[in-house]
Amino acid sequence: MTDSREQPSSPLAPRPSLLSLFLGMLQVALSAFGGGLSAWSQRIVVEQRRWVSNEQFLTGLTVARLFPGPNQINMAVYIGADFHGLVGALVAMAGMLLVPFSLLMALGVLYFEVHELPAVDRLLAGVVAAAAGMALSMGFKILDQYWKDGMALVLAGAVFLALSVFHARLIPVVLVSGPLAMVWYWPRAGGSRS
Amino acid sequence: MVPPIVSIALPMALPLVAVACTPAPLSDPGQLLQVLGEFLSLSLFSLGGGNTLLAEYHHLAVDRFCWLSPRQFADLYALAEAAPGPSSMIVGLLGLGAAWREGPGWALLTAVTAELAILLPSTLVMVVACLSWKRLEHAPLRVAFERAMGPITLGILFSVGLKILHSADTDAPGVGVSIAVCVLMLRSRLSPLWYMAVAGGLGALGLINR
Repeated sequence: MTDSREQPSSPLAPRPSLLSLFLGMLQVALSAFGGGLSAWSQRIVVEQRRWVSNEQFLTGLTVARLFPGPNQINMAVYIGADFHGLVGALVAMAGMLLVPFSLLMALGVLYFEVHELPAVDRLLAGVVAAAAGMALSMGFKILDQYWKDGMALVLAGAVFLALSVFHARLIPVVLVSGPLAMVWYWPRAGGSRS
Repeated sequence: MVPPIVSIALPMALPLVAVACTPAPLSDPGQLLQVLGEFLSLSLFSLGGGNTLLAEYHHLAVDRFCWLSPRQFADLYALAEAAPGPSSMIVGLLGLGAAWREGPGWALLTAVTAELAILLPSTLVMVVACLSWKRLEHAPLRVAFERAMGPITLGILFSVGLKILHSADTDAPGVGVSIAVCVLMLRSRLSPLWYMAVAGGLGALGLINR
């Protein structure tokens, strides 16, 4: 006998209204204030509200990471668009951003009011040093997965040189390197490169 | 009274000085459209979650439109990283800084506009992608795109890291803290807020300067 609660494919909830889509995303954004947005989003959207299956959710993550835009926002857009097209996407995005964006704006206003105070400036000098370390770690974080791919390292090196040494702008660099890289990585029938 | 020779030499010397750059006024509609165009087109190039655009934001806000000093840019980046929510919301802060001289109300409106400009194009692409994903999923174009963008993102992120480190412009202890935080980010799962809090404390004590 199987316990119905443990069945992996519990039935999905009916299509959420725009309002509940908005509230659901608001809940995700609020829950994730301490971090771990992706995990919270999965917990709320898949387990609690049962809007999408786990499989759909993982596909959404793939799509969100692949296409331009912030990953978390793209994930909200993916879910919203699935139910209500463009309007759903915008509503989900608004739910996701409303509280964090308002908070950040409040912080920003505060910053511009007080940043010239010497005490604030001293504190910020430290915070900025830590933030620079975080920015520096972003490249190293994904470096591992390219160690064995010589061509990837050559491409990354060329892009880095173009931007940091030759001060080229990002858009032309991507427009030139992107198609070249796509030709190189185009899937071949033999499947020699995986 | 300014001697005539100085008054002639001064405008010529100005472009060589860093502060020569005058803030672009957003109340000029032509300028505003140009700014919007920049953000709208960058939106489509926000690979790898959006942090890849940070050096471009720096270029626009500091070098091109002169809204912020490099130091303010580094401050705003730290603020966006420390606050909850996607760090790409830094664009809202840039908008805030761009129009701060024109009063907080106008600044907030500019902030929302800037954020919408950076999000809308990528959102439209995302909606189309969702609706046609079944056909796209196994298409060679999609596979090549995904594999190609990885290494390019890698190169951009290293360039961005260097740019932020450069605009943070701290003294040797500060750079030491940056490197230590970089290593900790890779080795530990501790929330980066702790590093910011500790480093902020070191700064307040006068141990990190810029």
